[in-house]
Amino acid sequence: MIKSYKLRRGLANTFIYILLAVLGILWVSPLAYLVIQSFNTGKEQIPQTLLPQFWGFDNYVNLFTNIGSLNFPRWYLNTFVVACFSCVISTISVLMVAYAFSRLRFKSRKKFINVGMILGMFPGFMTMIAIYYLLKAMGLTQTLVALVICYSAGAGLGFQISKGFFDTIPRALDEAATIDGANKNQIFWKIILPMSKPIVVYTVLTSFIGPWTDFILAKIIMGDARDNYTVAIGLQQMVSLEFKTRYFKQFLSGSVLVAVPVTILFLKMQSYYVEGVTAGGVKG
Amino acid sequence: MKKIVALVLAAMMIVAAFASCGGGDNQSNSGSDNGSTANSGTDQGTGFNVDAADFGDESNATLKVWGPDAYVKLLKKQCDAFTKKFPDKNIKINVVAQGEDTAATNMLSDADAAADVFGFASDQLSRLVSAGVIAPVATKYAEAITSSNLKAAVSASTLQNPETKKDTLYAFPETGNGYYLVYDKSVVSDKDAGSLEAILADCKKAGKKFIMDAGNGYYACIFPFTGGVKIEGLEEDGLTQKFNDYDEAKVVATLKAFSKLMHEYSGTFTSLDVANISSGFVSTSKKKSVCGAGIDGNWNSTPDQEALGDNFGAAKLPTIKVDGKEEQMVSMYGYKMIGVNNASKFPRTAQILAYYLSSEECQTQRCEELGWSPTNNTVVESDVAKKNVAISALVAQSEFSVAQVNIAQTFWDPMGNLGNKLIAEDTNPDKYDFKKLFQNTISNIKDE
Repeated sequence: MIKSYKLRRGLANTFIYILLAVLGILWVSPLAYLVIQSFNTGKEQIPQTLLPQFWGFDNYVNLFTNIGSLNFPRWYLNTFVVACFSCVISTISVLMVAYAFSRLRFKSRKKFINVGMILGMFPGFMTMIAIYYLLKAMGLTQTLVALVICYSAGAGLGFQISKGFFDTIPRALDEAATIDGANKNQIFWKIILPMSKPIVVYTVLTSFIGPWTDFILAKIIMGDARDNYTVAIGLQQMVSLEFKTRYFKQFLSGSVLVAVPVTILFLKMQSYYVEGVTAGGVKG
Repeated sequence: MKKIVALVLAAMMIVAAFASCGGGDNQSNSGSDNGSTANSGTDQGTGFNVDAADFGDESNATLKVWGPDAYVKLLKKQCDAFTKKFPDKNIKINVVAQGEDTAATNMLSDADAAADVFGFASDQLSRLVSAGVIAPVATKYAEAITSSNLKAAVSASTLQNPETKKDTLYAFPETGNGYYLVYDKSVVSDKDAGSLEAILADCKKAGKKFIMDAGNGYYACIFPFTGGVKIEGLEEDGLTQKFNDYDEAKVVATLKAFSKLMHEYSGTFTSLDVANISSGFVSTSKKKSVCGAGIDGNWNSTPDQEALGDNFGAAKLPTIKVDGKEEQMVSMYGYKMIGVNNASKFPRTAQILAYYLSSEECQTQRCEELGWSPTNNTVVESDVAKKNVAISALVAQSEFSVAQVNIAQTFWDPMGNLGNKLIAEDTNPDKYDFKKLFQNTISNIKDE
């Protein structure tokens, strides 16, 4: 047994730091590999060395100029447009639903909340085939509109966190506004929303990231319409058996670029994000 | 507000009901049309002979065609040529890029939205047939296809009709699809390329790798196949794999020989994805190539050739010494085929287009421009095919192969596992129980 407290603490700390460092390296290494190899301009497609022999931006340039049937710029634009639209629509609908459940008192309010919770527990891909056939009946398959509908139509069900946040805003404010002659709609837009920046930001972030990362639904809806792919399906296409030997490095650089808008948005809104999650969780 | 919602919902339901009715009608129509096509005219010879009567009453047809990316450009050209052959029919063809590896998956997920004419790999045929999404080849063309294509290709395209229980030609053969030995001529000499031991020795001497995807069932089946195992279709349930009466002792000896060789050359023999082969052949001023030889598929022949240039060598798989006797390595050999969608709105036109795409003319063009191995007897014998090193290697290998048809879904993973066990570092080839490993593999494939 080691007597010295200092030594013991030192040993324990060393052990902990080594463990954390190993875990950290493990966690970061795929990301580092992705970023580093995306600058590899060697002739081989699958990198054979840990660090590239030749550095440059060729893969990024190729991604946007050397367009065969894998049209990355188009996919990028598609995803961006879909993300913007579904972000706006679902943010508004989530906040409105949350507001209604938090402030309005109506018959079977509790029941609706429970139904919403239960529906939210079913995994989304359970209804995927049904969604596909409904969209097909409406003639919307293989279109971007279908994606926007899918990503934003059910968004209102994710009201819980926002509702929790709205519950923390004193009702006295609503009452004061009512006395001043505001109706429920005006209270929502003019009183509650300006006070709920963190939760608005949180909702914007989650609904914007959705379309960038969703794969299964987009894949089913788009089928063979390559021009309407989103980046997630497109990038998967690049590493499929057919294209891997020619597009692997473009896949790496494409993956880096996908992270850019999400990262920018996140950095801009980061300070609100944590606040939103924690504040919304106070009272459910 | 409630009224509006109710109206919208009702409208949606009506639209849905009508749309599904429409789909059903199409399918039943195409079924009966296929039957009637069978009666028209007789056709002899190998050329592409179609008369206007074959189209029936179809005109102004719009067809969607799927082809893999590399083929799209040529496919468009061939489709243009096809429409020009029948100017009065006013056919419109829309070529869409779609890999053959996922064609069946996409066909099965929604045949109505899929292509009318599509290219696919032969092992998907049984899935397509049992789901009823692929139309049988019309009898008139079936005879011409059977007489003008390689026997193995035709038998790979033939399956039992699930309803009539008769052997039916379901697809038009397009090209052969398999793997062979590729090597860097500056590392492995042409003479050494005949024997696995010599190849590995050459690679080791040069400090290069021999790359084979031993953990992938598609390549790992080489090991038992070389020992005499063969696939003999499926059992009557349509799910369980059937094998021939192999000599188990010989198979086990072969597995042991492979494992021993792999461990003897453990730094040289590397199990990696085939994409690493062409990348490994690349050498630059700063870095020498890392790969000396490998077992690669014919779809990678272009990047391999680009990386090696004049040093590109291709041959059939080498032999391996098992108990002092040289045994030829046996591979899996598949085909790519062209199928016609059973739900096509223009089944006759689609059949004729598929027939044209598998004709001598189109096969020659694919062979010349893409290096795709032909299945048409005339093209196989032509100079175009014989001059191409990769095609010759593939054709040579096809004689020592098991056809990739009627493969059970449960085949690939146990085979991959077998390969992984043979190469695993903790496997001691002198002590390991290969008999048990092999028996387990077979029973796992049969799902016992």
